[in-house]
Amino acid sequence: MEATVQRKTRAEQLPPVQRISLWLYRIAALVAVMAVFFPPMNPGRISEKINESASLFTTGISYGTITNSMGRILRSQWIRNADITMLMIACCVVMAGVILCAAGACMSLGNRKMRRRGLLLPLAGAPVMGAGLFLIHRTYAGMLAHGEEIGKLETIRIILPGGFTVFCVFAGFLFLTALTAFLASGRETDKAAQMEMDEKYRLFLMMLPVILLSFVFSYLPIWGWRFAFFDYTPGGNIGPENYVGFRWFSFLFNDPANAKDLVRVLRNTLVMSGLGIATSWLPIAFAVLLAEVRSTKFQRFVQTFTTIPNFISWVLVYAIAICIFSTDGFINSFLTNVMHVSGANTNYLQIADHTWLKMLLWGTWKGIGWSAIIYIAGIAGIDQQLYEAARVDGANRFRCIWHITIPGLMPTYMVMLLMSIGGILSNGMEQYLVFSNAMNKDVIEVLDLYVYNIGIGQNQISLSTVVGVSKSLVGIALLFTANGISKAIRGESII
Amino acid sequence: MKKKEKAASLHIRRTAGDWIFDTAVVVFFCVFTFICVFPFYYLLINTISDNDLVTSGRVNFFPLVKDAAGQAVFGAHFSNYSALRNVQDLGSSVFVTVARTILGTALMVITSAWAGYLVTKQKMWKRSFWYRFLVVTMYFNAGLVPWYMNMLMMGLTDNFLAYIIPGMVAPYNIILVKTYIESIPSSLEESAVIDGASTVTVWRKIILPLSIPILATIAIFGAVGNWNSFQDSLLLMNNRPDLYTLQHRLYIYLNSSSNLGAMMSQGGTISEQAAQSMLNQRVIQYTVSMVSIIPILMVYPFMQRYFVKGIMLGAVKG
Repeated sequence: MEATVQRKTRAEQLPPVQRISLWLYRIAALVAVMAVFFPPMNPGRISEKINESASLFTTGISYGTITNSMGRILRSQWIRNADITMLMIACCVVMAGVILCAAGACMSLGNRKMRRRGLLLPLAGAPVMGAGLFLIHRTYAGMLAHGEEIGKLETIRIILPGGFTVFCVFAGFLFLTALTAFLASGRETDKAAQMEMDEKYRLFLMMLPVILLSFVFSYLPIWGWRFAFFDYTPGGNIGPENYVGFRWFSFLFNDPANAKDLVRVLRNTLVMSGLGIATSWLPIAFAVLLAEVRSTKFQRFVQTFTTIPNFISWVLVYAIAICIFSTDGFINSFLTNVMHVSGANTNYLQIADHTWLKMLLWGTWKGIGWSAIIYIAGIAGIDQQLYEAARVDGANRFRCIWHITIPGLMPTYMVMLLMSIGGILSNGMEQYLVFSNAMNKDVIEVLDLYVYNIGIGQNQISLSTVVGVSKSLVGIALLFTANGISKAIRGESII
Repeated sequence: MKKKEKAASLHIRRTAGDWIFDTAVVVFFCVFTFICVFPFYYLLINTISDNDLVTSGRVNFFPLVKDAAGQAVFGAHFSNYSALRNVQDLGSSVFVTVARTILGTALMVITSAWAGYLVTKQKMWKRSFWYRFLVVTMYFNAGLVPWYMNMLMMGLTDNFLAYIIPGMVAPYNIILVKTYIESIPSSLEESAVIDGASTVTVWRKIILPLSIPILATIAIFGAVGNWNSFQDSLLLMNNRPDLYTLQHRLYIYLNSSSNLGAMMSQGGTISEQAAQSMLNQRVIQYTVSMVSIIPILMVYPFMQRYFVKGIMLGAVKG
């Protein structure tokens, strides 16, 4: 037992040269793996006619994707099919090299034997990458020569992409770090040792794909915040020449037209979130009243049917709004045919009055049954003996509700309330998008919808990023404030 | 049940005030339930009634069709639904939506089950850090436009994979699975490990079968979420109308001012008269809406069993 412990501690204390080179190597391998899936780092985009959104991975496996915008060029054989095939093979070779390096990085987390074996992989893998890159360069040179020969260089636009350099650097760096780590690891002393990996690293490697996915889709977008500091137009580049610093931020708040828009949008957002928070006790009332109904069958019936609206999308809610409130909807046909009111053909959806209230009502209609479920479950969890004791002491049902049920639900309510305060700026955009029209667009545009409208609708990427960044930062501050309040008064955090 | 009855029996004297209160509560709930259900019913009767009667606003509470003499009588027809075959672009949207619902949900459930199991392993290197790394993404996002630019950079615009891959890691569901797995007695797992089972075997043979209730919960909520998805289609599929989801397609139908009847493909198998009746834009909108509601109503009874589990476990913080 003691011996294993000793060996373990010795294994963890690698000499600094090896430790540092190992970590550099692992990080480089990780980045290289991700770069395989990143279109901007595609070393195989050797013609500007190759799809811009194709990554190295796509270039290697999908003939259709890389050629989909070069119909004429390919038909006239300005770029030869053989070259494309060659390019795809070259890309696959590069990927094979990256896979070897990545496998080596994984194995380098094992014991000495496994680490040494693992480090042999990049010593083979990095040259394989190099060979693939060499093939790409050959293809590039071949295409260039062919283009020159037929005089179509202007059309086929052969380039050596930045990704090519990046991957050359990767290959060299991986080779050097792996070699250093390998040489620094010394001779194998224990001939009988088995390849093993500590369980903690094995578990981590199993978790790694999930972590990478989460990183790519939830953390990497933060990299997009850089657009806030550049004067970016879709399709354009960002670089030192269009760096503008905080100009968009000051533009947003100082430009009169924009500031006015922002004030209007913030007012809409805060009013609608405020209304939502002000009515956040409604689900409790709903649950408490429902619990007062004696028949459990009736309770279940109500619960079943009031929850349905929660599960349909806002688009469908809008469809329902049309079939009830539009010119030929239920209200108007009911007034005309049953009440015999003449001239009932108002399109209630086009009337901008009380938009905030209407949005609140739609939200309540959709959500109250569902929100009440958590409180209904909470009521079911309250000890019945409390009620019995209270009744013995002469409490009527209102007193029971007020002194037992409500206090019992308060902790849950506080969490919900603080969460909604934390999310005061994010009311989502779907509801407001589907209900917006020419009449009500000034009063319905909330922050999320505003970002969508200027960013995606009007292509003002930089400006809308500024709004989004500000919103995210304020949102984080609010969340932490709410969490702090919760900690202070309940002694429990909500996140 | 027992407790309820006992509690009820403790109401020894029911005063007049109690009676009024009880009645008022029941009436209130009846009215509210009616408000929740009637729109769906109204939508339904509008799709199965005679289209002329729908247009003239005669259908209010019951489905009506015309009899031989042209009089409105109680009845229903379903030719609107079969005529939907001829509405352009609808078929691809239904296919895409069904595909993403099945694939997206399956991948999300597998990932959640896998990650939810692994984060219970105390031995993992930096376990709590990685767990927080996943959970924090619930409370924080970079914003719509950076997210969009990221998807653009990843080549996931105009690409069906954009519907499935980003949704695979769902932190909320990972928390649900983790909490559930923690409630499984660890002795089961330990005995399997002693017998030489690997982590993957333990997960597959012990953890997965035992956590079926929670996996069913997240599967069904995930499926509804996928079916209702609209925003990703709206943002990402600008150049690929054939990849629009059903909700996006419906949104376009609802907003199209042109006559949808004109979008029907020409020279289909549809009879002249049926084609005429399908020219009604409203009826097409209603019928497509109904088509996208029906699957939800169909899984709804199964979902109900999982409501409380889904929402209560969510209240357990990560």
